Amino acid sequence: MHLIQTMAALSEEVLLVVKKVRQRKQDGTLYLMAERIAWGPEGKDRFTVSHLYADTRCQKISPDGKAKIQLQLVLHTGESTTFHFSNDSSALKDRDAAKELLQQLLPKFKKKANKELEEKNRMLQEDPVLFQLYKDLVVSQVISADEFWANRLGDTNHADPSLSNNKQEVGISGAFLADIRPQTDGCNGLRYNLTADIIESIFRTYPTVKEKYCENVPHNLTEKEFWTRFFQSHYFHRDRINTGTQDIFSECAKQDEQGLKSMVVQGVKNPLVDLLSLEDKTLDEGYGVCTTLPSTSNSNRSVKESSNSAIIKRFNHHSAMVLAAGSRKGETPANQASETSNTDGNSRDSVFFQPPVKKVKLKEAIEYEDLQRENRPKTVALNLKKSDRYAHGPVPLQSQQYTTSQDIINSVNYIQHEMVNYKPNLTQVLSSTTASSAIAALSSGGVLMQAATQQAINQMVPSEVQGELKHLYAAAGELLRHFWSCFPVNTPFMEEKVTKMKSNLERFQMTKLCPFQEKIQRQYLSTNLTGHLEEMLQTAYSKFHIWQTRRMLRKT
Amino acid sequence: MLNIEGLLVHFPYDYIYPEQYSYMLELKRTLDAKGHGVLEMPSGTGKTISLLSLIVAYQKVFPLEVSKLIYCSRTVPEIEKVVEELRKLMEYYSKQTGESNNFLALALSSRKNLCIHPEVSSLRVGKEVDGKCHTLTASYIRAQRHSDPDLPVCRFYEDFDAVGRQMPLPAGVYNLDDLKDFGKRNGWCPYYLARYSLMHANIVVYSYHYLLDPKIADLVSKELTKKSVVVFDEAHNIDNVCIDSMSVNISRRTLDRCQTNVETLQNTIQKIKETDATKLKMEYRRLVEGLKEANVARETDVYLSNPVLPDEILQEAVPGTIRTAEHFVGFLKRFLEYLKSRLRVHHVVQESTPQFLKDIFDKVCIDRKPLRFCAERLRSLLRTLEIADIADFSAVTLISNFATLVSTYSQGFTIIIEPFEDRTPTIANPVLHFSCMDPSIAIKPVFQRFQSVIITSGTLSPLDIYPRILDFRPVTMASFTMTLARTCLCPLIVGRGNDQVALSSKFETREDFAVIRNYGSLLQEMSAIVPDGIVAFFTSYMYMENIVAAWYEQGILENIQRNKLIFIETPDAAETSMALEKYQEACENGRGAILLSVARGKVSEGIDFVHHFGRAVIMFGVPYVYTQSRILKARLEYLRDQFQIRENDFLTFDAMRHAAQCVGRVIRGKTDYGLMIFADKRYARADKRGKLPRWIQEHISDGSLNLTVDEAVQLSKHFLRQMAQPFRQEDQLGLSLLTLEQLESEEMLKKISQIAHQT
Repeated sequence: MHLIQTMAALSEEVLLVVKKVRQRKQDGTLYLMAERIAWGPEGKDRFTVSHLYADTRCQKISPDGKAKIQLQLVLHTGESTTFHFSNDSSALKDRDAAKELLQQLLPKFKKKANKELEEKNRMLQEDPVLFQLYKDLVVSQVISADEFWANRLGDTNHADPSLSNNKQEVGISGAFLADIRPQTDGCNGLRYNLTADIIESIFRTYPTVKEKYCENVPHNLTEKEFWTRFFQSHYFHRDRINTGTQDIFSECAKQDEQGLKSMVVQGVKNPLVDLLSLEDKTLDEGYGVCTTLPSTSNSNRSVKESSNSAIIKRFNHHSAMVLAAGSRKGETPANQASETSNTDGNSRDSVFFQPPVKKVKLKEAIEYEDLQRENRPKTVALNLKKSDRYAHGPVPLQSQQYTTSQDIINSVNYIQHEMVNYKPNLTQVLSSTTASSAIAALSSGGVLMQAATQQAINQMVPSEVQGELKHLYAAAGELLRHFWSCFPVNTPFMEEKVTKMKSNLERFQMTKLCPFQEKIQRQYLSTNLTGHLEEMLQTAYSKFHIWQTRRMLRKT
Repeated sequence: MLNIEGLLVHFPYDYIYPEQYSYMLELKRTLDAKGHGVLEMPSGTGKTISLLSLIVAYQKVFPLEVSKLIYCSRTVPEIEKVVEELRKLMEYYSKQTGESNNFLALALSSRKNLCIHPEVSSLRVGKEVDGKCHTLTASYIRAQRHSDPDLPVCRFYEDFDAVGRQMPLPAGVYNLDDLKDFGKRNGWCPYYLARYSLMHANIVVYSYHYLLDPKIADLVSKELTKKSVVVFDEAHNIDNVCIDSMSVNISRRTLDRCQTNVETLQNTIQKIKETDATKLKMEYRRLVEGLKEANVARETDVYLSNPVLPDEILQEAVPGTIRTAEHFVGFLKRFLEYLKSRLRVHHVVQESTPQFLKDIFDKVCIDRKPLRFCAERLRSLLRTLEIADIADFSAVTLISNFATLVSTYSQGFTIIIEPFEDRTPTIANPVLHFSCMDPSIAIKPVFQRFQSVIITSGTLSPLDIYPRILDFRPVTMASFTMTLARTCLCPLIVGRGNDQVALSSKFETREDFAVIRNYGSLLQEMSAIVPDGIVAFFTSYMYMENIVAAWYEQGILENIQRNKLIFIETPDAAETSMALEKYQEACENGRGAILLSVARGKVSEGIDFVHHFGRAVIMFGVPYVYTQSRILKARLEYLRDQFQIRENDFLTFDAMRHAAQCVGRVIRGKTDYGLMIFADKRYARADKRGKLPRWIQEHISDGSLNLTVDEAVQLSKHFLRQMAQPFRQEDQLGLSLLTLEQLESEEMLKKISQIAHQT
């Protein structure tokens, strides 16, 4: 695949140079550039290792305290490259500098390039026709890869502009905290593995932690200290109860609790799930069979019980926050809260205002969809027996345009109706001789059936040629699509493109169509298989000429 | 237009389920016989619309036989749903017949849902709204306003009182919001308008309490015509509603508040005596004449009603000992002191009402007769003293209601005094439970007064137990199955873990780690294969708390979180509502969620999990009621002695109806589908299984009685894959969905006759 662009190392900006880095037991220098990381052995001016950031999945570093200070790059292909920092005095510093920089650089590329590449790859894999086109046009260098994709990806974007413009945000895994399972390091300690993704998840789910982070790191605490405290806090351990006030996270817990409370106070929008208003009339205090409920006062509850209920509370809160983090798009939760409270305020202003939600929900609840005849416009199920025939495009059978399938049904009904009410007009029928001559003309071999040679071609042409023809059609269609999509030509860019497309078409005709023509002429002299293709190309050329002459006229 | 044994019924849909037809058939036979009926039909098969269609048609054809439909449901959303279905029916009627409808149908709810007074309605809590309303609309307060026009007034009530009664509510269907709209347009109080219109409405939809709670029923529903059909929908818990409405609990706090109430009364009497002694004299004279006035109680004085008002009391005069206000207050004081002394116990006391009456006579010489009049006497006194804020006197009202109840009923009640809670034996918290054990007491007047009472629900199995515990003789008892074109429910009994450990929530293995772990792995595996929403029910809140904590420690919850978000019911209703909404949101946006909830809780009773909101429900354990409770023990004993129902039978019945309620939450129609997983080996036993509703039971195959977790997962996968195939209307037609022509075919009618399962 010609997607991996070769890059000239000359014009690149070098962001970081680290000397004394070993790779495969060879000393050398590590270069971090704007778009790639490279390593060259000492004394040579050539890189033996070069990875685009876009190809890199992640970096790993050796744990503190290990004898070797290393940094490993893992590529999307699964391969990995390990660099060993061997400068005695500053190895750790060097490594951390490289790590920091990579940390900043990698995510940028991860999002952009990678996705595109994957997308292209996927499209090619999923669509064999497209793959063939790619081979015909790009590999044979009729058009460049960029041109090919420019139009393709543009297409998908046009199909759903909302998707491309603001990309759907990726939600957060509900179990991101579970992924930081601690591991014992063998000497009474715990190790937590944090990745950038997890940190982002934590920040997005718990904005209060992010606040704390911004407040304290790096002025008061190092990053490491911060996370150590985080993992020690009751906040992380949901079954621990907030006891001390020393903890910087106790405030977070309080804020969370407040947030939870305000959510609860706001109430729910869907009246059908509002348990508070479920009951019409509750029994007055003192009436009713009193089932021994656990008393609500906290003093009576054992520590275990209150820790249990803390777990439950925090699970609810966690799930709510994860859900909210997935649905808010750049908005802060505070914004959202104020928004909803605004609408709530409205409803309180006018006592009689009932949110339409209720009506809709009630309607939904009493709906029996299967008891009703379907009311929506009827559609016709498309039942393709030969999908290739469908793909060949429209056949000029009906001149009129049907807009909806309802129309089709109507007209079918109309025709049926006509048929039922058909009465032969016996005074105006054809005479028997004319009728029989008409039938003869319409039978095979008749005057009117001369054109029906399709069958013959099918049998005459070997399947391999047919396949080739198919490819040619597809390729020509693609190019023509590019060409015609330039009209109306109203920007300089379009002008340029249309000219280029015309030359692409010509090149196609020269490199692909003509050899094919010669080939079939050698074998089958009689049939003109490429006539239609040429016709299409000619139409395009003449269109181009018309456009060109007009442009000339306008210019003069 | 259907023909139900000669009755032409308008049915507002193009198609009909066979069981709906069958249901209407049984219903019509019940109405014809003017008797009571017990009908079980799965939820989601259009029970409500069948009921409404048939009864409305019956009312139209035989207006003299049936003049009113009283439809009782349990929750406010249910009530509103019924009215919306009714609106649909009525719209269909006027479209078919081409004439405007002359039917009046309305919903009635408590003030908090109907009040339009800006200040009062902003209180939002039922009790406060009622109290505030009372301070504005009670009869004597309005009388006072003649002399002192500055007193606050509710203009909505005044306007309604002035003109609202002359002009009856125009025909139509009024939901709660419609009533409020109408009230707002005319400036009338919707609540009193609705209560007034109850009398001439053709259809009334309200909650159980208006018929079953004697404190309310006496005022709201007293004058409803005998020729009414009463429907109790979602009636599987009706016995508990009856019992709740007749039981009283008195704690030390109640008595303390009562003490202050009595003192306030005494002071007020003293004051009035000095300023306006004639008032008290008037009252005395009235009491001598008897309580006839109670018959014409003003409608606004709901708050002062008494729990039971036996007819003989209305004929008699209040006994002399409590006739004067001071004497009565003295009497109350004595009674209060007696109760206080009874609460000073160190061991549990249980006695019958006659024993209690004898004891009170021996100790403080209080006779049975004045006790009986206590509630009525207090009511009169509070009115005479013109006490505005009646909510403050709830304690003394409670005590006097208790006095009346305890002296009226010698059977069906028990008195239990517990010095402390079982779980906290060191903390003294004495409570006197006056507990009703016989649900038939509260519902008896309903059966006696109305010609037809229909008890119906999706889960009423076993049917025969309801007539026994409610003490009535039904003319029809039938259970309908759900005809299905595809088996859209999949009940599985998971009895073992993958390690062959028996799964059960029974007391002995409750703390067993192996069981808890296996329950966890069941949920975890299910969370990986079931799309969208899963609801899990535990037998009690305590049990759930413990299991959740154990799962957290074992890291099971975090593994589950990889697949779905977790939401958990809490004792706080507002918090749970929020969790519920978030749960639905998570199901809606495709993330999927699990709701951990409690059988017998609010969620299990009132929330439906339609379609993707519940693709699987897991019942962890058998939801037996807490059997150590003395009240329950007393009730079981009573059931055995009076109705010959064995303890175990009743306990199992009670557990199974709650289990059925829980699992039934996920199937809400024929296009819906869901797994029902019973995770307890005890479900496999015939005595448990046999008490499940027929429509669930018949889909439990012998092969799915004692599955391991893995086997259940395999079966579920298979089921879910099948259900994910497109399901169109055509697939159902002729089998579980009928056109009119299909319905009328001979063969189908024969088939339909088998749907109803008579007992």
